[in-house]
Amino acid sequence: MIVNEAKIEAIPIPEKKTKSDVWAKVWRFRHAYLFMLPAVIWYLVFSYYPMYGVLIAFKDFKYNLGILGSPWEGLRFFKQFLNDSNFYSVLKNTLSISGLKLLFGFPAPLILALMLNAVMRSKVKRIFQTISYLPHFVSWVVVVTLMQKILSPNVGLVNDIREKMGLDAIFFMGLPKLFYPLVISSDIWKGIGWGSIIYLAALTNIDPHLYEAAEMDGAGRWSKLFKITLPTLVPTIGILLIFSLSGILNAGFDQIWLMQTPATLSVSEILDTYVLKTGIQQGQFAYSTAIGLFKSAISLVLIITVNKVAKKVSDVSLW
Amino acid sequence: MGTRRLSAADRIYSSLNYTVLIIFCLTALYPFIYFLALSFNDGYDAMKGGIYLYPRVFTLENYSKAFNNPQILNAFWISISRTVIVTLCSVMLTSMLAYGLSRKGLPGRKYIVFFFFFTTLFSGGLIPTFILYRQIHIIDTYWVLVLPVLYDFFNAIVMKTFFDGIPPSLSESARIDGASEMQVFARIILPLSMPVLATIALFVGVGVWNDWFTGQFFISKESLQPAATFLNKMISEASFQTMTGSGSSGSGIQNMSQSQMELRGVTPEALRMTFVIIITTPILCVYPFLQRFFVKGVLVGSLKE
Repeated sequence: MIVNEAKIEAIPIPEKKTKSDVWAKVWRFRHAYLFMLPAVIWYLVFSYYPMYGVLIAFKDFKYNLGILGSPWEGLRFFKQFLNDSNFYSVLKNTLSISGLKLLFGFPAPLILALMLNAVMRSKVKRIFQTISYLPHFVSWVVVVTLMQKILSPNVGLVNDIREKMGLDAIFFMGLPKLFYPLVISSDIWKGIGWGSIIYLAALTNIDPHLYEAAEMDGAGRWSKLFKITLPTLVPTIGILLIFSLSGILNAGFDQIWLMQTPATLSVSEILDTYVLKTGIQQGQFAYSTAIGLFKSAISLVLIITVNKVAKKVSDVSLW
Repeated sequence: MGTRRLSAADRIYSSLNYTVLIIFCLTALYPFIYFLALSFNDGYDAMKGGIYLYPRVFTLENYSKAFNNPQILNAFWISISRTVIVTLCSVMLTSMLAYGLSRKGLPGRKYIVFFFFFTTLFSGGLIPTFILYRQIHIIDTYWVLVLPVLYDFFNAIVMKTFFDGIPPSLSESARIDGASEMQVFARIILPLSMPVLATIALFVGVGVWNDWFTGQFFISKESLQPAATFLNKMISEASFQTMTGSGSSGSGIQNMSQSQMELRGVTPEALRMTFVIIITTPILCVYPFLQRFFVKGVLVGSLKE
């Protein structure tokens, strides 16, 4: 049912009408068009113009020559990054981080939702929920500040505990081997409550009579969970899963950018951060745009494919 | 199988469930409690460690320094004004777009929806966007904080879904009574849509309040930097200090702008803790009250990424 809500249904335009009929209809809806006009202009400028701007991936871009005026370079920049050993490590990091997030982060909200669903007192449940949403609403900047202090080698909570236990203080944020665990756990910490909303909504749609009938038949806690609750959630889980698969090249720019330190670059450089560094910080506009385009193009193909598969398998889709 | 044994098992599961949930909630809350305690504690005393739940040497000095610091005040002024302006404009513009899209029988709606929807699937990326901002001369101006974040098509879908649920008979009868489209929108649709408007306002407001990126990469003037960017600069300075091991107090902020920052009696770290509490408090005060509204919005929005 989530998907139905997200579905953008298109009402077929009645065909076979005379031209004047169509224009009369358009005229009748002139206010509706007028309402959408600012949005159309905004999207042309802020979304479509940059899409046209990806042309610079194929050009030797010079500001004074403009996007069209700059000389063509063909696929030079694509060849350049495909021959760049950095690129493969960046791609590997991106896929590792989003893969791990999927593996560990995906089931977390589901488990929380099931646990919350088992809380009978609705007031208590609401308090739990409210608290669980809190981390979602704070900025990654704040989350990373919290982490840096808690994990700080100088008077940070965790290292204080370690020292009390007779262990040495560790500079957590600077160790490559701890980078992924920290990324995954902070991602779960931030997103688990928010992610559970969608499952909780699906859970409230379960007819309570089903449970009552099952109890009459002697079904226990676990058989109710596996025979009623989880099967109800399968469509939701499936949809969320395949759509997170289509976002596999997004490892989470904000989080990674803010968490990475020079010491962890070998594992923490992802496509988005690499694009930003090569582009804005080093000024290699064309090269950076080429990598960005590579990423957006693959993501586009992924989401279209995934949507097609979803439509076929489960009859639910984004469009 | 006796009912009694079942209820005993139930009780065990239930208390186990509660225990795990309570631990979970403490995990979500604790970092803020930790920072709250540190923000009310004397900074030099805090360097000795041992403050985990409540302040040891209570002081309001950190807050008074923060609120009297012109740079910090300015950063918050930018954030507040930006959040208010963007939220108002965005909710207004998005609701107009959503209302247009929700009109039944609108000629060409399929194509219009595709025009907007496609932008959520494909984007030009960072550099073309950067070039656009330069070409329209909004880099390093207040405009770059406002214009690029006015629309988010997912918000429009959330609103449209809500508008679709309003009985069409209401607006139809108003039209028959001679109400203009603007009147139908302003007097019938909007007043009935307060829950969704509040939800979108929350989403937009929080997003803008938390946005550090724009200020970081598209603004170099310090006087235009929003609070989230300011915080980011504070922490990157600090982590640099930790990296190079030059002093536990992270004197970077003092170096950064000693002339403007009167930090006597306050450590940069304590100021950072205080800043985190100040920047988090407004969000904390708003979202719990909108909770019952935003759940519906999430159903659509969660398909975002």
